[in-house]
Amino acid sequence: MRKSIYSCIAALAVVSGANADVKVGNPMAMTGPIPDLVAPMALAVDLAEKHINEQGGMFASGEEYVIVRADSMCDPVASVDAVTKLINVSGVVGIVGPVCSGATIAQAESVAIPAGVVTLSVSASAPAISNMETGTDLMFRTAASDAYQGVALAELALANGLTDLSVSYANDDYNAGLAEVFAEHYAANGGKIHLNEAHEPNKASYRSEVATLGANTENLALFAYYGSGGITLMRNAMETAAFSTFLGADGMLAQEVIDQLGAENLGQATFTTSTSDESTHGYAMWKALATVAGLNPLGPFVPNSYDATFMMALAVEHAGSADRDLIATSLRAIANAPGEIILPGEWAKAKKILAAGGDIHYNGGSGPQDFDANGDVAGDFSASVVQDGAWVGKIIK
Amino acid sequence: MWESFGFEFVNFYFIPGLVLGCIYALGAIGITLTFGILRFANFAHGEVMMTGAYVTWTIMAITGALFGWALHPLIAAIPSIFLMILVFFVVDRFFYKPFRKAPTIKVVMASFGMMLVIRSLVQILWGPNQITFVRGIAKPNGFIRELTGSLDMMILVPNKHFLIMAGTVVIVILLGYLLTSTRIGKAMRAVSDSPDLALVTGIDVEVVIRATWIVGGACAVAAGVFLAMDIQMLETTMGFRMLLPMFAAAILGGIGKPYGAVLGGLVIGLAEELSSYPWIGDSPLLSPGYKSGVAFSIMIVMLIVRPSGLFKGRTF
Amino acid sequence: MDQLIGYFLYFCSLLAVGGIYSLIALGLNVQWGFAGLFNVGIAGFVSIGAYTYALLTTDTSPLHYGGLGLPLAVGIVAAMIASGLISAIIGVICIRLRSDYLAIATIGIAEIIKLVLKNNSEITNGPRGINKIPRLWENFTEERFYNDWPMSWFASAETWQSIFSSLPRWWWQPCFALSIIIAVYVVYKLLEKLRLSPWGRMMTAIRENEPAAHAAGKNVTGRRIEAFILGSMIMGLAGAVLAMHLRLIEPTNTFDPSKLTFLVWVMLIAGGSGNNRGAILGSFLIWVIWSASEIVINVGIDVIGDFTNIHVGILSTRAGYLRMLLIGLLLQYILQKYPLGILPESRPTASSKT
Repeated sequence: MRKSIYSCIAALAVVSGANADVKVGNPMAMTGPIPDLVAPMALAVDLAEKHINEQGGMFASGEEYVIVRADSMCDPVASVDAVTKLINVSGVVGIVGPVCSGATIAQAESVAIPAGVVTLSVSASAPAISNMETGTDLMFRTAASDAYQGVALAELALANGLTDLSVSYANDDYNAGLAEVFAEHYAANGGKIHLNEAHEPNKASYRSEVATLGANTENLALFAYYGSGGITLMRNAMETAAFSTFLGADGMLAQEVIDQLGAENLGQATFTTSTSDESTHGYAMWKALATVAGLNPLGPFVPNSYDATFMMALAVEHAGSADRDLIATSLRAIANAPGEIILPGEWAKAKKILAAGGDIHYNGGSGPQDFDANGDVAGDFSASVVQDGAWVGKIIK
Repeated sequence: MWESFGFEFVNFYFIPGLVLGCIYALGAIGITLTFGILRFANFAHGEVMMTGAYVTWTIMAITGALFGWALHPLIAAIPSIFLMILVFFVVDRFFYKPFRKAPTIKVVMASFGMMLVIRSLVQILWGPNQITFVRGIAKPNGFIRELTGSLDMMILVPNKHFLIMAGTVVIVILLGYLLTSTRIGKAMRAVSDSPDLALVTGIDVEVVIRATWIVGGACAVAAGVFLAMDIQMLETTMGFRMLLPMFAAAILGGIGKPYGAVLGGLVIGLAEELSSYPWIGDSPLLSPGYKSGVAFSIMIVMLIVRPSGLFKGRTF
Repeated sequence: MDQLIGYFLYFCSLLAVGGIYSLIALGLNVQWGFAGLFNVGIAGFVSIGAYTYALLTTDTSPLHYGGLGLPLAVGIVAAMIASGLISAIIGVICIRLRSDYLAIATIGIAEIIKLVLKNNSEITNGPRGINKIPRLWENFTEERFYNDWPMSWFASAETWQSIFSSLPRWWWQPCFALSIIIAVYVVYKLLEKLRLSPWGRMMTAIRENEPAAHAAGKNVTGRRIEAFILGSMIMGLAGAVLAMHLRLIEPTNTFDPSKLTFLVWVMLIAGGSGNNRGAILGSFLIWVIWSASEIVINVGIDVIGDFTNIHVGILSTRAGYLRMLLIGLLLQYILQKYPLGILPESRPTASSKT
């Protein structure tokens, strides 16, 4: 017993001892309801870390940029605990993450904002985050709020000639919110919604709800995570040909969907995600980097994870020291115009400009990443369909 | 929708309910036997189902890679059953046996712990990502469709569902034979109905316990493989989320009564799927968000109204 | 210096969360240790307490009902009452069920509570949850509190603002942790008194030998229900404090039974069921192990990553599962090595006064 206490203290000392690095906390839902979604996101974070360290590290002294990963389990209790440790024990300068809206809001309100630490979420999309803060400016995210994507999706549906449809959404914070915005906007603009029902994630069979939802329409707006029942629901729908056309958002945009359901069956499936205008260099640059690293450039929230990590490093570099109080201003400075355009992976270039006192403007793989007053990003959305066995996205104008 | 000429209810609600019910039934058999003979609710049962499916897939993958065989899941399930029974024995010996004479809560807690241990092991070894079991979409069986179509009906059943239902029937018949006509089967029923009397007549309880793990394990692996065949993929929480409905099925049927468990499983599977049928008007009777609650509600009502279950099992 | 403050604040958070779990464990001990009730639906009662508190004390919001902005004390008391009421209903229905059955029934009830909270979005904001929940001590720094009574009786808003800006920004954290510890102490003292009282001894009699207690004319069912309700009220209190600590609650993951319910049972069994001090000890011990294990495993991963060629990313993905595995094995070890828990139950001796 005493021995384990000593080793714990030793571990704490080791963890905190390496003061020469710039540490950034990265709470992600490594275990929990969506581990398969989060794994590539974590790899994207690591990729950004690698690029930064390969191209000179932080500051003139070339300090290492260290991502300290923690498991937020998509759960407020775990994320509060994880971020408490990151901020107090590991002494991180900022938080990149978490993944889920609930975990993000909890850790921000409970730990990060009271401690004056910036949170840059990679994928939290709850509208509530926009107006979370009073008097502080510490909450940012690289993923667009549902309030934008729901609207874009509704307009896409109408533009594609889907005059009526049914909606089925997984009853979790991300999908329920998106469905609500979508349904409201779609109905307000003349679309007819036959049925709008929640479904429980992770069930073995959705056959009956699919049958009821599909009784009067051919079109389904599906808001779910592919790994938590989304694929099963689509499969059940296809088995009985209940629906012929599917529409949805990030949670369904994964290679697994093609691998499991078969590209030949996905002719009429369109899923959206936030993206950069492909005609800009931001996305092209990201796509090249991701392909080299073996990541899917269009994976849900994967480019957002890369961007967030990269931007946090740029902010610290801009601030000149690992001082928590300076990060928020620096984050805005590097993300917004004016400044020389920096694309994903261009760490050395950015470092040189900053060292000379210049200004930069980061454009990421998931969008231009310009923060508004609330720390939100707008950005564009792309609609992806299956072509040659992979998802190919086209930007929605 | 596939045209079903008035047979929507049968094809899109009833048959899916039966299929789900079959899977619940097979899992519930193991649970009810463990409950009746070993006298505790084994929370690790779902994980054994899941692991059985994973092991089956691994066997299929290995034989495919080494020998180029494309084993059918039900064939690969057989070595998997042996392996999982072995796992059951090991777990019993090290984690459950110490608590044979202790208060029930100890062994239930131990099974909680085993649930975590087994699931974490699978997650570490196979990773948290989903694994495709069978690719593509299963279309309804053409032969049955044409046959029933010519008879003025329309039954749409994909092959996999056919296999699941047929497989369940076979297993239940075998189980019935085991329990009524073999010595060990009768001993199991004796211990389940009245342990003290069974001891007095000289039945070796440890042998019966081993038999319970064997039968329960075989049914659990079968349930896991059928589930994997139905959802066509593997993932690490697939066992756990079936667990509570399976408990509900076991309680519904009566603890210690395997036929009760089968009936209970079918009832619960049907109830879950039929709850989304638009009995009144156009929308589902019960919001599909509450689908999980159906099994629990049935179970709680049963516990209050008739705790011994439909087939009058043990009531502790 | 900053690093020391960091350790201190982490220590405060361990105290706070350990304290919350202690309260839940104490409540469970009333149900299990006193009355022998195998309640596995803990998450349900905690969530009721948390939601009641949240709905009553948050500001008005378009996202959910309530938002009455009531004082914190009202919220806490209401949380306890709500939990007590729901448990009374459940208790009357389920109390006659035997151990395994009660366990499964309570799990089912907790699941149903969760589904109700999730699906009634107009009231609870559904899966998105309720945020900006006021936290004791920290709420004093919020405008809506210092602009209003009773704080406005003592000083004007500007005075308060200048007081708070002169304190270090983390001043309220040790106060919060201390308040929880005091609450735990008060509850502990009350329960100890109860245990040694005639009521407590009757509960022990019922638990040990129910037919005899019946024969002696005791209203067994009534006493059991009382214990159930009392335990649930304490869990409701814990739920309110949990809501304060997290500042956001949502129905899907916050009250996840495999973490909340399971951990509390481990805490009680490890600490010593039937023993209030054991409940507290078990809670802090298991929570510290749970929280610190992440640090230890991360250090281990770094070490392995330095010495071998395995990519750290793959290891850290599996690390979370490794943690679960170790906790599960730890539970097995404790169950077998310490069958009565670390602090076994101590009975009042025959010589103590009635």
